[in-house]
Amino acid sequence: MRQTVIKGGTLYTMKDGQDVFQGEILIEDGKIKKVMERIPEEMISDDARIMDASGLCVMPGLIDAHSHIGMFDFNSETSVDEANEMTDPVTLSIDARYGVNPKAREFKVAYEHGITTMLLTPGSGNVFCGLPFAMKTYGDNAFDMSIKAPCAVKIALGGNPKNTYGDRDQLPMTRMGVAKVLWDTFRKAKTYMEDQENGKNPPYNADMEALCLALKGEIPCKIHCTQYDMLTAIEVAKAFGVRFSLEHAWGATDYIDEIVESGCDVCYGPIATYRCVGERRKIDVEAVKMLDDRGVNVAIITDSPILSEESLYHHIGEAVREGVSQERAMRMVTINPARILGVEERIGTLEEGKDADIILVKGKLGLDTNAKVQCTMIDGNIVYCCL
Amino acid sequence: MYLIKNGRIHIGDGTILDSCDILTKGKKIEKIGREIVCPEAQVIDASGCEVFPGFIDPHCSIGAMGIPSRHLDNQESTGLFTPEMNVKYAMDPDEVNAQEFYKSGITAVGLAPGNGNIMGGQIAVVKTAPQKMSERLVKEKAALKCSVTSAVKNTYGSKNQMPKTRMGIFWSFQEMLRKARTVKIEDREERQEIVSEVFDKMTMPVFCAAETPAEIQGLLHMMKEEKVQASIVDGFGFGDALEEMKRQKTGLILGNVNSCSQIAKYGIDLEKINELVKNGNRVAFTNTCGGFSEGREVFLWSAIEVYRAGVEAEEVVRMMTEHPAEMLGLGDRIGTLKEGKDADISIFTGHPVTTYAAKVKHSIINGEVLY
Repeated sequence: MRQTVIKGGTLYTMKDGQDVFQGEILIEDGKIKKVMERIPEEMISDDARIMDASGLCVMPGLIDAHSHIGMFDFNSETSVDEANEMTDPVTLSIDARYGVNPKAREFKVAYEHGITTMLLTPGSGNVFCGLPFAMKTYGDNAFDMSIKAPCAVKIALGGNPKNTYGDRDQLPMTRMGVAKVLWDTFRKAKTYMEDQENGKNPPYNADMEALCLALKGEIPCKIHCTQYDMLTAIEVAKAFGVRFSLEHAWGATDYIDEIVESGCDVCYGPIATYRCVGERRKIDVEAVKMLDDRGVNVAIITDSPILSEESLYHHIGEAVREGVSQERAMRMVTINPARILGVEERIGTLEEGKDADIILVKGKLGLDTNAKVQCTMIDGNIVYCCL
Repeated sequence: MYLIKNGRIHIGDGTILDSCDILTKGKKIEKIGREIVCPEAQVIDASGCEVFPGFIDPHCSIGAMGIPSRHLDNQESTGLFTPEMNVKYAMDPDEVNAQEFYKSGITAVGLAPGNGNIMGGQIAVVKTAPQKMSERLVKEKAALKCSVTSAVKNTYGSKNQMPKTRMGIFWSFQEMLRKARTVKIEDREERQEIVSEVFDKMTMPVFCAAETPAEIQGLLHMMKEEKVQASIVDGFGFGDALEEMKRQKTGLILGNVNSCSQIAKYGIDLEKINELVKNGNRVAFTNTCGGFSEGREVFLWSAIEVYRAGVEAEEVVRMMTEHPAEMLGLGDRIGTLKEGKDADISIFTGHPVTTYAAKVKHSIINGEVLY
């Protein structure tokens, strides 16, 4: 593969402790080979493609840590729900890769707006919903686009599972019922894991196998919860010692101390829902500033296609409106979600050895409302360019 | 009395006055000019701030839905035509208050019936400040809400009642108009009387929900000979009906484009709004998509999407202020900062169309400072 050199741009590497600087990036074989003020001539081959990024911001591709694009598929006349296997409150081991339509139009919108990686997750219709995975946004085949599967165990509290099964007169019909399913399933998995460790050879159970990954700390739990349900999530996760992120987290301003103390990550969003009693009581994007100030790893999410993928800009912007600096806000859609997805070794910053997922942006995303991605590169390939 | 000093004032009609003052008295704007002196007025320093007329969302379902009751208060799904329904009676002030619309600069909303009926009822305009109901209600019977979207088919066709198809929707709509116009006066029902007054005496404008190109084109074809002023609500497929919209000067109340990825779904080219602007069509933004509202933020987001697509910032401001006021027949009371008009003023720390770092510093509604 031809080398590419990006010159003349202002680099936002998103690397801890590194300030913005004028610099150059050398790309080779889909990876970032060098990031420095000036790439020495001898490193650049004669046929290298030189890209002029003068006047542009050069950043790692954006990451949306919570999406259902191609799973809630709005691309047919009637919308298709491939995200919710609502036949049992525990469908823990279903694999989101089988649910995605990789040709959904929204993926194109995503990479044209500089979003190069997403976490695709089953919906929230069950308490244990299934296994999310991380994928690049450009390609023809979800399995090829995938960069990590599974990334987490997706869990949902509150109204979604309650309404699914309550309507059928089945457990869980209440939030207490959701908590019971949560406790029971974790206990069962713990016993399963202990039996395995003690050589008791329990009969194979795909759901328990998947939850054991979380119990062993190999993957985190992504727990859909809002308002008071956050405390339930924290209590149960703590009891079983699993790593976890709170997903959506509306109302987090009421639970900042508990969240900080638990050491969890937070995927905040989407915002802009109407406010009403219950789960939608408080939609407080200012929470991301309070959490970030207290050292919590925070990502901003869209829940696309429920809200459009391009609304990620508005989401970053609303965080900025509430006082988050533009630079901190950009971390919430790059390196922070990369860590939550467990793929920070590959993406999330402009660093040597990482995937060449790079965007060139005119203006400042999250600040200038007309900031526009001019070029998107995924694995060193230019997938969108209007330069 | 309040004296807003030294702001950059956006009148709402496209003009901007730099470092100018606004004096309010009671509920109204008393004076706009440079270096106004008024010792008895309380001064609000707006130096470095952008001052706008309160934004207006002409079509909003939240505030009339009555959540969490089992039946939405703005959906009288018992008849295809319920033009006599007055949203005023469905109003839930707490539901409006909970949205804190003024934090996004929105000071008035047109509460609207849903999309399930071909004629759902009459829109009422209210201020968004938690004030007395008598002061909040700006106008009832501001517009007749109609719909030709699939929501109508879902409401009635699913019960094997007409209309089950788009053909059925338009047939029913046209039959309603024909009957209302031909029935003997003494036999006329209340709803027929309202329809005839709206369509023949233009007692109020029509806001009609239409999303797809086919729905919009069908509506425009049906409205070709009608004189009533019409605006399309949602209108995601407007780009495929531009010429007819221009001919009829149809308004566009653009739906919440960020809801369920409408831009990707319809391949919307928002830049085409420039053609409507040049032609003098009115354009506004609604927080609804398919008849359902989302929170206050989406109003600004739609405005930003249109700006991003290449429409001038001050034209976008007009779509948030002057145009919706005129669509609702309230151009003489709200929508622009002019002497004698309601003192509905939003003071931002920046220009909310061009920068996200623009926060409402003060919101004034009916001359009262909310914060």
